[in-house]
Amino acid sequence: MSARPNAESRLSRLLVMLPWLMERGEVPLDEVARTFSMSRAAVVKELELASMCGLPPFVDELIDVFVDDEMVVVGVPRLFTKPLRLNAPEGFALLTAGRAAMQLPGADADSPLGRGLAKLAAALGESADDDSTLVVDLAPTAMVDEFVEAAGRRERLSMRYWTATRDEVSEREVTPRRVFHERGDWFVSADDHRSGERRTFRLDRVETFARTATFDPPDSDPGAGSGAGTSTSGADEAAAVSSVSWSADGSLPRVTVRLQPGARWVVEQYPVDAVMEGADGSLDATLAVSSERWLQRLLLRAGTDAEVLAPPEWVNLGAVAARRLLNRYPEVPRAANREAAGADGGSTARRAGRRR
Amino acid sequence: MDRVERLTNLLALLLETTQPMTLVEIAGEMGDQYPPTLANLRANFERDKAALREIGVPIETTVLIGDHAGMSAYWIDRQRYELSDLDLDPAETRALQMAFAAVRSSSGAAITAGEEALWKLGTERVDAGLAVTAVVPELPSLPTLRDAIARRATVAFRYHDRDRLVDPFGLLLRDGFWYVLGRDHGHDEQRTYRVDRVQGSVAVREPDGAFERPAGFDPRTAFSSEAKHFGVVGEDARTARVRVSAERAVIVERGVGVDRVVHRASDGSIDIDVPCANIGAFGSWVLGLMDHAEVLGPPDVRDAVRARLQALVDRADRAGGP
Repeated sequence: MSARPNAESRLSRLLVMLPWLMERGEVPLDEVARTFSMSRAAVVKELELASMCGLPPFVDELIDVFVDDEMVVVGVPRLFTKPLRLNAPEGFALLTAGRAAMQLPGADADSPLGRGLAKLAAALGESADDDSTLVVDLAPTAMVDEFVEAAGRRERLSMRYWTATRDEVSEREVTPRRVFHERGDWFVSADDHRSGERRTFRLDRVETFARTATFDPPDSDPGAGSGAGTSTSGADEAAAVSSVSWSADGSLPRVTVRLQPGARWVVEQYPVDAVMEGADGSLDATLAVSSERWLQRLLLRAGTDAEVLAPPEWVNLGAVAARRLLNRYPEVPRAANREAAGADGGSTARRAGRRR
Repeated sequence: MDRVERLTNLLALLLETTQPMTLVEIAGEMGDQYPPTLANLRANFERDKAALREIGVPIETTVLIGDHAGMSAYWIDRQRYELSDLDLDPAETRALQMAFAAVRSSSGAAITAGEEALWKLGTERVDAGLAVTAVVPELPSLPTLRDAIARRATVAFRYHDRDRLVDPFGLLLRDGFWYVLGRDHGHDEQRTYRVDRVQGSVAVREPDGAFERPAGFDPRTAFSSEAKHFGVVGEDARTARVRVSAERAVIVERGVGVDRVVHRASDGSIDIDVPCANIGAFGSWVLGLMDHAEVLGPPDVRDAVRARLQALVDRADRAGGP
């Protein structure tokens, strides 16, 4: 452990370790250290402390424990034979992880996972009809299943994929390695055979895909591309996932935008370098710009709730994009407009607006 | 002396006692582990009591009558202290291990509360190279809220610069955000709050069992009936017709659902009817499609989108733009 644990976390761990040891009687010191992520010296120190504790008048120790020849030996169990019940953070972590796991492809309520979770929920004081007090909705789609299965088969898929940063659709061949859910979206981390790199793609941006009947060897780098903290390269949609690598990518230009409360979603949706809160409730946020097209889209979505402060060449970027789109929406006389939206489905106004 | 030792001894004493003990009695049994003056003793004991409660030890308090009338006495209810036996079979244990390996908190902390919980259950976290995983956002007030829901305790927190008193009915993780749903005392109606927008911490009010959770309450349905969000499942009566070019048609159609497509043109473009009651969210969505979408009607919705674009142009013009 990096930080020195405080008294609370040390006691908490001790109260887990003692019943764990009692159940086993004799455990190699190395195994105790590994299981509880401690150094061997720290294990010995904590057990020595435990053997000094007791009840008044403190002549009878609580636990008969000693370390002998690399083995931790527990003698007569006295107190702390059962683990402390789960505290609030632990209960929350278990239920959340369990409910999320139930949403992942392959899970079902009658499975061992479903049964184990039901027992857990009961231990946390939730009654059987209470499973709607904490709901994790990952909204898996059919495509998520398909990509998970392709990852299992290690099969290459050919796909048409929309890259938001460039606002273009491209054809690619990828071998899915890991599918994950983060920030409300599903992603696949895959070997991209065009670039020869591990890339991350957002599944709802896959337009179509097809099996290729080409199978690749097992993943050579299973740790790569597993969500938060992933180091992916390129200006792909990896951007939206791995905040760590993206914001660390100093090569991308930066923009500073002033966001009114209506555009706060920008700082929630995209990784930001810095945010300064103004007295009027606005935010000045600095964020990486993966492409000018991407920034245009952001400015169109936010409207006048966002204002570029710097750099100067992008101050009018939103207006330029708006002017282009306005060609679609010519100001037509009211009467014509109403007529257009009538029987013939608005085609008059539309045709007038088309300039292709 | 090591504080962990004093805490352990205090815990043992309160677990073993057959009747509630006053502070003076506790100090008498603990000997020189506590300072002799009453003020220091009380301060140290309060600190220890808070520490034990923080790790989940249920220290009960009662106010005595008779000889020691008015004095507080303390003990630990063994039933509430001990984790009940879960009786997991090996397949269930294995399944739970795999599940917890597949789900991580966004903080990515090495030692998470979930890992400690697994130790208590007698299982370990495994790190299999799983093909599918999820990352779940972590917020400090979430455990407090879940606990309050289970106990049916009212919570107090600050939100949008106002103090709220809420009977929490459920927590929902959707679209990457945690929401708490419940009855707001001030408005006397059901409200939804985004947990990451709660200002400061959440306080739990005594007592437990302060409210009844509505029968059959489900955060999923309670959430979507609040038409605050523009979404693909919007139940708004009002819709707008949008033409989407062939380049985006496939993805948009999958997002909104095939039953919203009202026309398919030979060039591959589609016309769809989508909810537009929340005009701000609708405009943001349709303009996010940039050159690939156009609002066909109704006229006032088309005008509203047009006005959004015009406002951007006007602002630039005022500033002496292009």
